[in-house]
Amino acid sequence: MNRRNKIGAGVGRQLAVLAALLAVSGTASAGLYNDGKVLATGGVSMTDGAGGGGITPWATITGYETRDGINADLHYTYVHLPNYDLNSGGIAIGFFDRVELSYTNDSLPTGNTYDTVGLLTTTVNNLLTVGSTPANTLNTGIEPFNTTVRMNVFGAKIRLFGEAIYDSDNLIPQVAIGGFYKINNNKLLLKTLGADKSKDFEAYVSVTKIFFPLSTLINLTGRYTSANQTGLVGFGGPDGNHRSFRFEGSIAYLLNKGTAIGAEYQMHSDKLHNVNLNILGLTANTGNALLDPILNTVTGSTLRQRESDWRDAFIAFFPSKNLSITMAYAMLGNIVLSPHQDGYYISLQASF
Amino acid sequence: MKAIRLSLTLAAATTLMLAAAQPAVAAQDPTGGKQTTYPGIPSSSLEKFGGEAGVAVWVDDLFYYILADNRINQIFLTHGKVKRQIALNKELEQMVLGGPVTYEGASMSAAHSDMGITLTQFNAVVEDAYLACDLARTPYTVCNQLIAALAPFERSIVTR
Repeated sequence: MNRRNKIGAGVGRQLAVLAALLAVSGTASAGLYNDGKVLATGGVSMTDGAGGGGITPWATITGYETRDGINADLHYTYVHLPNYDLNSGGIAIGFFDRVELSYTNDSLPTGNTYDTVGLLTTTVNNLLTVGSTPANTLNTGIEPFNTTVRMNVFGAKIRLFGEAIYDSDNLIPQVAIGGFYKINNNKLLLKTLGADKSKDFEAYVSVTKIFFPLSTLINLTGRYTSANQTGLVGFGGPDGNHRSFRFEGSIAYLLNKGTAIGAEYQMHSDKLHNVNLNILGLTANTGNALLDPILNTVTGSTLRQRESDWRDAFIAFFPSKNLSITMAYAMLGNIVLSPHQDGYYISLQASF
Repeated sequence: MKAIRLSLTLAAATTLMLAAAQPAVAAQDPTGGKQTTYPGIPSSSLEKFGGEAGVAVWVDDLFYYILADNRINQIFLTHGKVKRQIALNKELEQMVLGGPVTYEGASMSAAHSDMGITLTQFNAVVEDAYLACDLARTPYTVCNQLIAALAPFERSIVTR
C-alpha cells in the first residue's frame, strides 16, 4: 500500500511538471508559436529526451521552431529487448532554435532478469525474520518479480554557433553543448549492482552538419559521463564516480524529404564490467564454497555483469510536422547479467 | 561538490573557447559562377535537372507553389514584377549549378535588404522548392544539389 502511494505520488509529480511545461508552451503560443523549420530538420527525440537521433543528442535544437519562435514536442519510445522493455516518455521545448529544455521519464521493467535473485532474497528474508528483528533483513532493491528501474532525466542544450543546414558552402558545423541531470529511483538495486551513485549529471558537446550534395547528415558527440547503461544502472562503480568523455556518432541518409535511414554508435561504460552482484553482503564469485554454488545454481548463470557499446540502425518517417515515427533495430549487447540484448525500437514524436 | 565545481568550470571554459572560435561568415552573394559547396556539386547536376529547359520548368513550378502559398505569396506579389523574378531565377539557378549563364540581377542582399524576410518565410520557399522538384519529377538527390547551391543565400536574404 505504502509502495503504491509512493508510485502514485511520483506519477502525480510528473504530471504536475508536464502541466507546468504545457502551460509555458500554451502562453508562448500567443504570437511566439512557430513551426517554420523545414520538414524533418527538427530531428527526433533520443531516449534521454533531447533532440537528436535515437540514442545520441545532436547539435540541432528540438522542435520545428526557427529563430522566430517556440515549439515543443511530446515523445514516447518503446524498446523491446529479450530481457527488458524500455519505456521513455517526456516533453521537450525548443526556444528560438537556440535553447532546448527537456524532461523524460524512463521506466525499465527488467522482466525475469532478477526474479530468481529476488525470490532468493525474499526467501532468505522470510527465514531471517523468524526469531529476528526486521532490521536485520536484507534489502537488495530487487523485487520477487519484474523489478522495475525508474529514472527521471532533466536536460538542457544551447546552440553555440554554426548552421547545420544553410552553410553548405563551408565546412563549419553546427555546435551545441548540453547536459542531463539524471535521478535513478532504484538506489538499493544500484547498490546491489555496485554502482557508486544513483543520481548524477552528464555534459556533452555535439557537432552536426548536413551535406546536401550527399543528402547525408553526420553528428559527432562527446559525452562527459560516468553512467552505466545511460544511468539506468547508476553512475560509476566500486572505484568511485569517475567521469570521462565518451564518443557517440550518428549518420543519417535522407531518402526523400520525409524519410531518413541511418545508424548510430554510443560508447558505453566499463565501470561495472566484470563486477559481480553484491548479495548478502558477499559477491557471488568470490570462491565462497557455500554460497557460490547456491547462487550460481539458482540463477542458472554467473552473476558477473557486463556492458557493451550500443548500436542501432533506424528508419524515421515524417508524415507531417506534427508527427514523426522512428523504427530501429537496437543492438545493445550485454546488459547487467543478460547477453544478446538486441531488439526493436519504436519512437513517436508529436510536435505542436 | 568539488568535482561538480571543477566540471562547471571546465564546461564554461569550453563554451568560451568555442564561442571565441566562432567564425565570422561573410554574406554570400552570386559572384557570377557555380556555387561552392562541400562536397562540390557534380558537373552532371544541371544535366540531371533537365538542362536549361528543365531548370526553366522547375522555376515556373516553384513560382506556382510560391504564389499558391498563403504564408509567403503576398511578399512576392507586393514586391511586384513576378515575371522578372521568374526570369532572374532561371538565370540564377542555372548559374549556381555550373551552367554557362550570367545572372544579371541585383545581388541577393541588395535585392532583399529592405524586405525584412524572416527565416520562417525563407524556409517556406525551401518547402515550395521541394514541391517544385516533385512536380517536375526531379529526383530528391538531384533536388538536393540545387538546395545545397541555394542554401547559403539564407545569410543575405534573411535580415530579421
